[in-house]
Amino acid sequence: MAADKQPTTAEKPEQPQTAQKSAAALEEDDEFEDFPVEDWPASETEAAAQQQAAAGAASAATEGEGKGDNHLWEKSWDDDDTSDDFSAQLREELKKVEAAKRR
Amino acid sequence: MALTTQFLSSIRGFVKERNAQKLREWLLVEPPVPDIYHNLAKELRGVAAIDKLVEKHLPEDDDVPADQGTAWRGLVAFMEDYLKYWRDVDFDDLLVAHELLMGLTNSCTTALNHPLYGTMMLQTSVALCGSLSKLSMTLNKRPDLTRKIQTIDTSGGDEEQKSIIDKTAEVMQRVFTACLTDRTSDRSQPPEGKKVGVYTFANVTLKLLFACRKTHLAKTIFTNISAKSPSLSYYPASQRVTYLYYLGRFHFINSHFSRAAQCLEQAYLQTPPAFQTHRKLILTYLIPCKMLLGYLPSTALLQRPEAEALSPIFSQFALAIRTGNYLLFQSTLETHEKWLLRKGLLLTLTFRLRPLLWRSLSRRIFLLTYVAPPMDSDKPNQKAATLDLAHLVVAATYIQKRLEGYVPADAGPRSRPPHVNAIFMKAVASNGGPGTADSTLVAPPGGAKKLRPNDGLVWGNMPITAEHVEGVVASLVAQGLLHGYVAHSLGRFAIMGAAKKGSPVAAGWPNVSEVIGVGDDEVPGLVG
Repeated sequence: MAADKQPTTAEKPEQPQTAQKSAAALEEDDEFEDFPVEDWPASETEAAAQQQAAAGAASAATEGEGKGDNHLWEKSWDDDDTSDDFSAQLREELKKVEAAKRR
Repeated sequence: MALTTQFLSSIRGFVKERNAQKLREWLLVEPPVPDIYHNLAKELRGVAAIDKLVEKHLPEDDDVPADQGTAWRGLVAFMEDYLKYWRDVDFDDLLVAHELLMGLTNSCTTALNHPLYGTMMLQTSVALCGSLSKLSMTLNKRPDLTRKIQTIDTSGGDEEQKSIIDKTAEVMQRVFTACLTDRTSDRSQPPEGKKVGVYTFANVTLKLLFACRKTHLAKTIFTNISAKSPSLSYYPASQRVTYLYYLGRFHFINSHFSRAAQCLEQAYLQTPPAFQTHRKLILTYLIPCKMLLGYLPSTALLQRPEAEALSPIFSQFALAIRTGNYLLFQSTLETHEKWLLRKGLLLTLTFRLRPLLWRSLSRRIFLLTYVAPPMDSDKPNQKAATLDLAHLVVAATYIQKRLEGYVPADAGPRSRPPHVNAIFMKAVASNGGPGTADSTLVAPPGGAKKLRPNDGLVWGNMPITAEHVEGVVASLVAQGLLHGYVAHSLGRFAIMGAAKKGSPVAAGWPNVSEVIGVGDDEVPGLVG
């Protein structure tokens, strides 16, 4: 779709300026400006892209949660991996407190 | 007087052919305007009886053919005000200009209310409200000007002083009501007549109210729309998205996150990718809403160009929620405090995400401490798996101390400085690692940091007690975020239904989105 192509080429960030740009982007105006056009067809929207992806996924009978660019939200996000730093710190602390109790 | 007469006869011509477009193009109020308007203003300053002039050149005709129009009382009054507006207005005196424009918009509403010909003034009303809104927002940022009227007015009646925004919103809501109550078409049919303007006026008013942080006044609009408006789906996409954005934010402000998420998600889904800034503003509220309902933004979403600036913030919140990492949560809040405050997200996220953090933290501690009993096929009725709340107290205390600036004792350089006695090192090591006797943390040099109430795990520097932790766990159970019960005498959280779910962790910590993410069916303000 032409509508899809345009922003991706136009919005390509220049690497060195990314950090600066995102800081500036957070500072910009808060107002929800009037749209430059009054109406647009449903086929140009995200909803259409979602439907296409869902239809594609159904016909291909792939994973249920739907992967790829159109998968917007994680429903099952619990993390069972306890090898991160925070878990390691908690584990150490628990160990030490237990040891202190036993003495 | 030639110019005025000419102007009025042109208006008469447009009214006769019911040309709403031309009326709008001619009835300008906001600079820049062609010179002819300034010339008209100059001429009008010399006219003694504007009212008479208008009545003469804009007569109310009888026996008008069905496809034609004629002036009516409301229009004549409006045109009188319109000419007086140009006679008196001085764009260097914004307060007076605002007062005049409010009066003019009011008479426009009266003209708009005519059952047969009123609709011809619809476009002009849109333009007037747009200008009025713009001027009000400018004035709202100029307290040096608005202070003047307050000092003048308070000497008068006892009535509570209304702000510029309150007054403007009232004027604009009259236009909105005029459209909503139009009887040309039923609410179940595609809108006709003035009903076409319902969402245009709702949006222009909402924009003003949100920009000036007077969102409580928006309630009237949403209540009226719920009661009388045709379906939103009849209106153009830009109006739908704009309305859904404000309705979603309104529900967000009022802590109805599921309603807010429904509106904002629809707004996002109906906005083409080319409108980056709109999409970004929608996501600014949609992502927090979804997080509060137990849905975290996917990597694909956060990698979209419109999420570029939001990603560093929300990816950190999401990670903190996933892992129960309160330290990451607090530091993210702290780093982005200014932005979150400006967006009206700070307090909501500070307090409303806490249950999810506690849930994940308790889950993490369970994963770290639970030892499954050996399988015994003879005794299928095993005791329930439990989480020792004392462990959660240890973890919470650890987090609280870290928030107060305590540092892990082994965080310093690993290699032992040459002057440290080897026997001392041995003694420390046999104590169970660096740190104090009962913690891996050491106090910061200047002592514990003084925390603001919302920066502590419970309340500022208040130390965490077993009661706090038990209270938190009990409330998570009550909310359905933990599945089981608190065995108070044992100091444990006992998990129910582990066998059925396959594992204690799956049973004790149900999927958040399934517990709280279930949407309300009806969203007030949304006519589907």
